[in-house]
Amino acid sequence: MTHSLELIWHLIKRDFHLRYTGSALGVLWSVLVPLFHLSVLVFTFRNMVPVGIEDYPAFVYSALLPWTWFSSSLSSAGYLFFSHRDLVRRPLFSPWMLVVMNTASYLLTFMLSLPLLQLLLILYGRPIYWNVGALLLLMAIQAMLTTGLGFIIACWNVFYRDIAQLVSLLLSFLFFLTPIFYRPVSGGWYRELLTRHPMAFLIAGYRAVLFDGKAPGMDMLITSAFFSIAVCWLGYFIYRRLLPDVIDAL
Amino acid sequence: MPVAVTVENVFKRFRVRRNRPITLQESLHQWLRGHYAKSEVVWALRDVSFAVELGQVLGIIGHNGAGKSTLLRLLCGLGMPTSGTISRHYAVSGILELGGGFHPDLTGRQNLKTVGMLNGLAKAEVQERERHIIAFAELEKFIDQPVKTYSSGMYLRLAFAAAMEFETAVLIIDEVLAVGDERFQKKCLDRIARFRNAGNTLIITSHSTEQVQALCDQVLVLEEGQVVFQSDPQNAISFYHDLMQQRTDRRIAELGGESEPVPMITKQGARHGTQEASICSLHMYDKDGWVTHRVHSGDTLVIDIEIHMKPHLKDVALTLGIFTEAEVKCVESAIPSLQTALGFSAERYGVRCEIKALLLHAGNYFVNVGLYPTDWAYRYDFHWQMYPLVIEGQHDIGGIYTTGVLSVETQWTLKE
Repeated sequence: MTHSLELIWHLIKRDFHLRYTGSALGVLWSVLVPLFHLSVLVFTFRNMVPVGIEDYPAFVYSALLPWTWFSSSLSSAGYLFFSHRDLVRRPLFSPWMLVVMNTASYLLTFMLSLPLLQLLLILYGRPIYWNVGALLLLMAIQAMLTTGLGFIIACWNVFYRDIAQLVSLLLSFLFFLTPIFYRPVSGGWYRELLTRHPMAFLIAGYRAVLFDGKAPGMDMLITSAFFSIAVCWLGYFIYRRLLPDVIDAL
Repeated sequence: MPVAVTVENVFKRFRVRRNRPITLQESLHQWLRGHYAKSEVVWALRDVSFAVELGQVLGIIGHNGAGKSTLLRLLCGLGMPTSGTISRHYAVSGILELGGGFHPDLTGRQNLKTVGMLNGLAKAEVQERERHIIAFAELEKFIDQPVKTYSSGMYLRLAFAAAMEFETAVLIIDEVLAVGDERFQKKCLDRIARFRNAGNTLIITSHSTEQVQALCDQVLVLEEGQVVFQSDPQNAISFYHDLMQQRTDRRIAELGGESEPVPMITKQGARHGTQEASICSLHMYDKDGWVTHRVHSGDTLVIDIEIHMKPHLKDVALTLGIFTEAEVKCVESAIPSLQTALGFSAERYGVRCEIKALLLHAGNYFVNVGLYPTDWAYRYDFHWQMYPLVIEGQHDIGGIYTTGVLSVETQWTLKE
């Protein structure tokens, strides 16, 4: 068990190394990319199409960070087994570690950006005492959701390369269906239908904790927790079923 | 001895799809039109059963496509048998493919760390053994370079040294000892002997029947996915050679009348093969360029081989050896690809082999020569005992007789 953890930690470092060797800014990129994304959103929705929300950069940033963790993990999940083919084809390696490593690796970049969010809040003169327990709970739920989906995407993409394309399409669609740069609006059956997904629940939870300094809504939390556990189990189940074929196909 | 790995009634089926759908769209398209991609079923392994004990070296031989690599992969736990069971009672690791196993963008040292940790070692232990591995692999200068810059020989050295140092009870090596220079191969063989004396199990495949004979306690012969023979190396290798003979005969039958009649009359010896490529002539010359089959011991011998290839062939493998009348191999050169080794092509006339100093003892010998497909699966043309070679020299000097194969200078004196 401790060895597995040590190994996953090693793989995370290896992943960072592979991702950033040869780039001058290195790990800084993992912080810079969401910041750039943030500035585009802030410029658009404060100066071009104003939505009129106070402390808007901090408001967006508090939701954009967990979203970036989610979306980058899922976009890189598709080619996970291909880019780590050397490990998948090693006798003593269990490929599930790659999926866990992928989630954990982007979780780390998420956590690297958190101090920046606090800095932003202080700049706006409203330092927030984060409820660390609630934050950890949210992260645990999201980690399960991401890992479960990661299993499915990583395995299916070995057989159908469309999956990775499809995932990036769905992610860009889901980005707009998640209250990241706006506050959730109620009313209208389609709004209710489309914005009631676990990621929206989770993002609302993060915003409550990180931006408003409140506790996340309990019912939302429980729903998304159950959903994430189910997805995680399903993902692992699919992985177990497909693994022999995945290895044959690689 | 306790059993290390048991294989029971293992079958493995692959679906080889002609027009394999690569994208969803393609498979959706096929589904909508009601016909699926025609898939051919290939049985790579059929009812394979055996067991290997700890401390044993098992060799697996068979021509390309017989299922060796599939079997080794399953033994490593990569993929599942379609039916049957493989029980691994100890940890198994392996060197399965040149180019796999290490990440090309990471340095040798970084890769070693990952591999060591995969073998269950803590970080500190890995660092401790790293030094031995680098020293054994003789890669001190290159260890901090990305693995993609390594030559195949360097790559093999690293993979082999790592596998030996991060010892698991069972190690599986697929054909890779063929790479690397002779000195390093010798070093590897010594290391393997130590590995085995420590009570570890080794499973290898090799094209070199000599390597198999030297290393293995037990040999399996695989043919079309089945274990057709299992015994000690000596018998297994001769069975394997018989199999090659049969396959050549089958191939001749397949080619039928298509193969134009090559005069197969031989004055002596025997000739066998499909004649897709054939040896038209073999001539021997002495050091002055005179055609002869008598050479003085220690002199130069030149052998010219004229080769004719059918136009559909691109490349051939060749063996040329000198054997005693009792079929003891004195020397043999094997060239797996005449094209790579010498740049030979169908337009060329033949090849020449020059033996600088033929240090054979005086006596009667034969030159045997063969042409094969590059996977050595059967024979194109094999000339057995068709070319006698007489080595001249003295048998007795002052009442002292020497016999044997090697010609060496002996000086006898009285001990003071």
